[in-house]
Amino acid sequence: MTAPITSRFILFRAAPAVALAVLVGPAGAHKDPVTPKLLNAYQEVFMEQVRKGDLLFHGDAATEEAMGVVLSKTGMACAMCHPMTADTHPATFPKFQAQMAKFATLRDMINWCIEKPNQGEKIADDSEAMKALEAYIYWSQSGSVLNPGKF
Amino acid sequence: MSELDKVRREMAAVLQQPGVRPDPSLRITRRTFVHKSCLVGAATVAETFAWWPLINTLDIAHAAEAPFKFAWISDTHLYPKSLNTRFVEKTMRAAKEVQAMSPPADFLIFGGDLAQLGKVEELELGVEILKEVNIRKVFIPGEHDWYLDMGKKWGELFGKPNWTFDHKGVRFVGLDTVSRGPDYWTAKKMSPEERMGHMATLDGTVAGPWAGVGSDQLDWLQKTLANWDRNRPVVIFSHNPLYEYYPPWNFWVRDWREVNEVLKPYTKVTNIHGHTHQVLYNEIGTMRSIGMLATSWPWPYAPEGVPKLTKPMIRVDPGDHFDGVGWAKIDVSAEDKVDAEYVMWRKQVYAQSPDDYAKSIPEVLRPRVADSMWPY
Repeated sequence: MTAPITSRFILFRAAPAVALAVLVGPAGAHKDPVTPKLLNAYQEVFMEQVRKGDLLFHGDAATEEAMGVVLSKTGMACAMCHPMTADTHPATFPKFQAQMAKFATLRDMINWCIEKPNQGEKIADDSEAMKALEAYIYWSQSGSVLNPGKF
Repeated sequence: MSELDKVRREMAAVLQQPGVRPDPSLRITRRTFVHKSCLVGAATVAETFAWWPLINTLDIAHAAEAPFKFAWISDTHLYPKSLNTRFVEKTMRAAKEVQAMSPPADFLIFGGDLAQLGKVEELELGVEILKEVNIRKVFIPGEHDWYLDMGKKWGELFGKPNWTFDHKGVRFVGLDTVSRGPDYWTAKKMSPEERMGHMATLDGTVAGPWAGVGSDQLDWLQKTLANWDRNRPVVIFSHNPLYEYYPPWNFWVRDWREVNEVLKPYTKVTNIHGHTHQVLYNEIGTMRSIGMLATSWPWPYAPEGVPKLTKPMIRVDPGDHFDGVGWAKIDVSAEDKVDAEYVMWRKQVYAQSPDDYAKSIPEVLRPRVADSMWPY
């Protein structure tokens, strides 16, 4: 049985290790300190997904072909009913979705729109295209208030 | 303060001065007054939902020499038949219903966006379907009709994009609010298809503020109205609303200030417009403005700028392609009243509770990015 960590333990037994860590910096930490350069790199990865999602959302044929998806067969694109992603309400998922009559995620709803109004081909939940669409929708609405379950 | 806020404040200062309203004889209905008196004290969105009438009724005093009706269809956005049959089906339904009106309408106004991508076959398909309607037909263009060949085919089919005629005591004017977009294509060497593609993207950032009346057409409008009694009714058809609702989607004309200057002396102006694919009602200075439904698909309300006088339409069921869309009939009665009735195919038109209305949870939206990052 391990001994409970008490303030007494920290004070007497861990004190040398804490002092060493303070002196030499977080050598044993599992990541480098975050730098602006690193943050930019993370942001670039994200924005590349947003860009791809934006193009898919607006029915860009070249992007659809490059990603191997058929999101619509009617000429309709997501953005035709959802300019600037209006009325997608990503912040309300997961929720009971009346059209599907089931508890649904945003990904379920994206696929429903692809299959029903757009009459396109459903995409895999973990596909690159799904992640890109999700990235674009969330990014577009990043100021909206999280409200899962709301009608 | 954002650029949009500044414009909006300016519009309120210029156009909504105390005491300036459409002529009292243009009032809507008693029920509307009940609604408006509620608005004054309305603290929450919920309170504004209960009172709006199903029919917007306009009194056009001294107008009708005889009672008459006319019908409005717009925003059919036809693709070639082989690609999209739903839009064809809905256009045919609207045409059949207009033709079946009894007593018949005196004329049909088609308010623009007959085609989706301005193609010859799309425009011709529209003409073919509207042959079902054998009353007089007048047309104004939408941006989707225009920017593939810069209005060439549209002009061949329908003639001049702006026109005027008098009918039973009302002066009708058709305006072209689409053809004067700033040139975003030449410098970037776009193909006609690329130019059309940007124009057809409502939330695109490339086509810019293309909606406008233009100084030449404003001169024409001024001359057209010059010999008209200022107290007699004028009905102006335009594809875009003649006020500023939401510029990023061109739910406006960029020269609304000048338009207002020209229309200011006339006390009974009604503007009926398309483009917004939603129930809209507004009063700007002495002008009343009514937004019509599309037959193709409904658009959500913009994240800001929805006129306070608009009672929002019900949140649309995306599983029913006949929901949130339709056409309109406008009825001028013997008592000089004009009723604009939305013929929405799912019968329920207006939201009855805040939960029905999409904006009951405010969405905070950003403009798209890819079209400005892409090497166009």
